[in-house]
Amino acid sequence: MSVISVKHLTKTFKIKEKKKGFSGSISAIFKPIYKEVKAVNDISFEVEEGEIIAFIGPNGAGKSTTIKMLTGILYPDSGEINVLGINPTRERKKLAYEIGTVFGQKEQLWMHLTAYDNFKFFGAIYDITEKETEKRIEELSKLFDLEKFINIPVRNLSLGQRIRCEIVASLIHKPKILFLDEPTIGLDPVVKESIRKLIKKMNKEYRTTIFLTSHDISDIEKLCKRVVIINDGKIVMDDSMSNLKYHYMDKKVIEVKLNTKVNFSNTKGINILKEKENRLRIEIDTKQTDLTTVLKLINPENIMDINISNIPLEEIIAQIYRKG
Amino acid sequence: MLQGVKNQLNVTIKTIKYGLMREMINKTSFIMNVIFMILNNASFIIQWIVIYSLKEDVGGYTFNQILLLWAIAASTYGFSHFIFKKAYSLSDLITNGKLDSFLVQPKNVLLACITTDIEVSALGDLLYGYIVLIISGITVSKFILFTFFSITGAIIITDIAVLLGSLSFWIGRSDMIADTGNNLMINFSTYPDGIFKGAARILLLTVIPVGLTAYFPVWIMTKFNFKLTFVIIVITVILTLVTFVIFYRGLRRYSSSNLMISKI
Repeated sequence: MSVISVKHLTKTFKIKEKKKGFSGSISAIFKPIYKEVKAVNDISFEVEEGEIIAFIGPNGAGKSTTIKMLTGILYPDSGEINVLGINPTRERKKLAYEIGTVFGQKEQLWMHLTAYDNFKFFGAIYDITEKETEKRIEELSKLFDLEKFINIPVRNLSLGQRIRCEIVASLIHKPKILFLDEPTIGLDPVVKESIRKLIKKMNKEYRTTIFLTSHDISDIEKLCKRVVIINDGKIVMDDSMSNLKYHYMDKKVIEVKLNTKVNFSNTKGINILKEKENRLRIEIDTKQTDLTTVLKLINPENIMDINISNIPLEEIIAQIYRKG
Repeated sequence: MLQGVKNQLNVTIKTIKYGLMREMINKTSFIMNVIFMILNNASFIIQWIVIYSLKEDVGGYTFNQILLLWAIAASTYGFSHFIFKKAYSLSDLITNGKLDSFLVQPKNVLLACITTDIEVSALGDLLYGYIVLIISGITVSKFILFTFFSITGAIIITDIAVLLGSLSFWIGRSDMIADTGNNLMINFSTYPDGIFKGAARILLLTVIPVGLTAYFPVWIMTKFNFKLTFVIIVITVILTLVTFVIFYRGLRRYSSSNLMISKI
């Protein structure tokens, strides 16, 4: 069952442009110049219940604008949005009871209050009884391991602890969909990993649909089964994670240390990425030249050390961004 | 509908309660802020004592009426700034995309954002208003009327602050316009209306509604006037409705931002 349905969604921002320097500032007062920027340009997609979907793209691609339209923060110029059967533009309040949001760059918690007091306040916002809120806080603090710092003011928590509290605050009302906009921004690798585990656990235990945007490829690789890539306001790819990797499986990267230099200039499908003395890093398009041919060309007796790997997912996505 | 209003009221009261809890963490600063604001306001009364020692009547007001005017101006300002502090920085909330966290909550956006913070020193203004009321000679009816007009006055000046702040939806930064407008209201409300003549007087009783927040209440507390009380109630309700309509119209133009923001 689809819980999010977006059809031909478009959003344009009018941005004031100014010529250089002080004279530019003066002329902007009398003759302002406006530029229209299509942040989201005719996009359509659907999200199924219980899915963890990655909605990714380079900076300024339109990710946050899309999330903001899906959650009722921004009004679209045109197109249709349906989230859990609700139109976010017309029924923002009704939708708010059903969704949770975590913006990694914008805090929702009050910094001077303890996490516990914040959760109690969020309970009141969602019209949950005191008793129910208490029960929910207990349940979530166990799941997210908050017991040690739940009574400490949020401003005194580490970034990792704070993000955990932000996620818990967004789950107080048992939302059916959770929108996570760069939830692991600024976190160290260990904390990132623990946040990812918690997101997975939550998705499994409560069947919460998760709509995630992140610049961290590991977030996407470890959490999501489906990836939607947006660039310049348009969807340039919507596919499963396995398909995404499979399509780029025909490219391999070989890092090799040689006794003597090898000349690849006459071989098709080989791209030399880096060459330094007897060390070489090459990318091979196996559609044009298979690995055996390349290895024969190098000559196994000439090899001092070798490493063959797939292209990192990060590189795959960067290539898609560039093409888009 | 009724349940919705009840829930909204519950959240608004809780927001103010949590605001107080936040401020009370710094106990000394909290108490000092309140006390110093009372002392600051008291210093202005000294000027009026000097003036009234030279003259019996200023702009048709007796010294007792001046006390009442100061009392109502202080408590109106105090009520509004204590509960609706963020109405006075609405332009910043709009232009810097700080409304996002309120828009994802199932509550009234305007009420949620303007009550999200309290101004402790305004509690000093509020208390000062009641202290001056006691000095000017308190009766039960005067106390009730004073409290009632402090609330209607606070609603009116908050409405004006929201309307001026909402201009940011259309013109970008409107903080300077809002500050000028808000200060204009406060400055005029501490002088007797009789000293203003002609166009200035008309403006104060209409466009800059100081009449509704300060002059009429003093007239009514001096000699009860039902018609004038009714006018204040009707205009307060209409102005509030207009404020909500304008704010929500503007909200359609809200463009958010990607600034790093923390909620203090």
